[in-house]
Amino acid sequence: MRRPRRLLPALLAAAAGAAVACGGGGQREGFRVALVTPGSIADAAWNAGAYAGLGQVRDSLGAVVSHVEARTPAEQEEALRTYAAEGYAVVFGHGFEFQGAAERVAADHPNTVFIITSGERVRGNVAPLVFRLHEASRLAGLAAGALTRTGVIGFVGGIELPPIREAYEAWAAGAAVTRPGVESRFTYLNNFDDAAAGREAAHALIRQGADVLHHNADAAALGVFQAVRETPGTWIFGANADQAALAPERVVASAVIDLPRAILAVAREVKEGRFTPRVESFGLASGVIRFEVNPRARAALPDSVWALVVRVRDSIAAAAP
Amino acid sequence: MITGFLAAAVRIASPLLLAAVGEVVSQRGGTINLGLEGAMLAGALAAALAAGGGGAEAGLLAAAVAGLAVAAIFALVAIGAGADQIIAGTAVTLGAVGLTGAVFRTAFGSAGTGPTLPMLEPLAVPGLWRMPLIGEALFRQPLPTYLAFAAVPAAWWVLFRTRWGRALRAAGEDAASARAAGVPVRRVRGVAVLAGGLLAGLAGGSLVLAQVGTFAEKMTAGRGFVAIAIVVLGRWHPVGALAAALLFGALQALQFVFQAMGLDVPYQLFLMLPYLLTLLALAGAVGRVRAPGELGRGERGTGSGER
Repeated sequence: MRRPRRLLPALLAAAAGAAVACGGGGQREGFRVALVTPGSIADAAWNAGAYAGLGQVRDSLGAVVSHVEARTPAEQEEALRTYAAEGYAVVFGHGFEFQGAAERVAADHPNTVFIITSGERVRGNVAPLVFRLHEASRLAGLAAGALTRTGVIGFVGGIELPPIREAYEAWAAGAAVTRPGVESRFTYLNNFDDAAAGREAAHALIRQGADVLHHNADAAALGVFQAVRETPGTWIFGANADQAALAPERVVASAVIDLPRAILAVAREVKEGRFTPRVESFGLASGVIRFEVNPRARAALPDSVWALVVRVRDSIAAAAP
Repeated sequence: MITGFLAAAVRIASPLLLAAVGEVVSQRGGTINLGLEGAMLAGALAAALAAGGGGAEAGLLAAAVAGLAVAAIFALVAIGAGADQIIAGTAVTLGAVGLTGAVFRTAFGSAGTGPTLPMLEPLAVPGLWRMPLIGEALFRQPLPTYLAFAAVPAAWWVLFRTRWGRALRAAGEDAASARAAGVPVRRVRGVAVLAGGLLAGLAGGSLVLAQVGTFAEKMTAGRGFVAIAIVVLGRWHPVGALAAALLFGALQALQFVFQAMGLDVPYQLFLMLPYLLTLLALAGAVGRVRAPGELGRGERGTGSGER
């Protein structure tokens, strides 16, 4: 492997440690990257995206990779500690909930870089990746406000975590721009698995007059798509991945978070010795957060609306730090 | 508005009712099957796998078979080998969660987007479905909903009007006396558990084939356990289970309506509503409820259930 260059003091310890770790034991060769997810990697969204990113790290960087699923805080800390003790160069804790555990483990393992996706702060060799998915949800809201005939739009959330509430608020704010006085309704399911509940929540919103929906509910959103498929005159905006395939005629666009791209980028920095612990925040400007319009539904809105969406997107991107 | 609410209540209640009626039969024989959730989940996955190639009807058949198979594992351990029912049932459910996840990823890839499947369309009963208010809810539903409602009188008839049903209830009340009277206790209990598994499999299949149109890991989301609560709330009677399942479905549907109306009340209160009222109903009903005497005790009477 390429030895890390000692560019910055902040990286000094980690780089030295990595060099020692790699030079020390013959069986511990190569650039090694681990991922700990809080749930199943078959969720078609948050965890699946991180796992795909790990695959790209393996293929593009020639890294040795490992993944484990850890649901409880105790398991999560243990998983981070095990990978660090094994001398992995980078350990991804996939979600806000890993922040505390990573800080406790990191003090004992200065040679490992801990990356917390949706984390909140830098602590030594622990650094967060922040995803401003709400920037794309705002664009979805702009289009939704122009699209709704009833003046009522609906949002189905999984659990009310800060990023999900932010997505809802941005969606509602966007719609209020193109449709002043729009009624924004939301429903939380309190889980990310119950697709049948997602469908009922969507139907309840539709019966209240909502004709354009958006979600942030991972697998439970599959039921929201089903409700839209079976109710003529309704539209939906996808989230996390490009979800046009779930309802090709009814998905107007998706607020996409390109997790593989973000994970590959940070892993590459560590491998090339360019990494410095910092709050790395991805918005529309980075290309990690995108607003993907479904070509088959583009005609649902006039070009003037799409032009507005592009203008707002560019201004959000230009204002990014 | 009310028509839509009632239809939603019946939709939510249907899979719960299917599973709960099966569990009534099982518990009347003295066996509490916490593997119900696992049987539902297995039914859901089997439905998704079979419907992709063979259509929705094949999916429903596969769901029943999968539920039966999971219940058979539970029956072998809990009734055949006399293991603790609570532990055996919990193990079966945990095993089913892991196994369905692994099979799903193998079949559809770890990216995990389930396939879009053929579904069981609502079947309208000519004329009746146009009735105001309840027409849509009761007479324009997919096949599993009718099966759930048909299971109620069927279970009642089997339990209370057949020799086998009497033998089963005897085994559930007092196994020693039943055996003295010539009842093959293990066999009737085993059959009851298998019947419960079949209905739980159908319940899981109905989530996929009549509601969502695809499979997601852990998509049963605790319905197996809610069905067990419904059995208690329904006082171990099929008709009671029907009432309890409809109550639960109505509360869940109401919860979604309240959230969708955008009332200025914390939505967490609405989420609690079905469970809170179930608890209250259980507490209020406790005085007159009596569980089957042998419930959870197993063949040798070594279970922890109280008499």
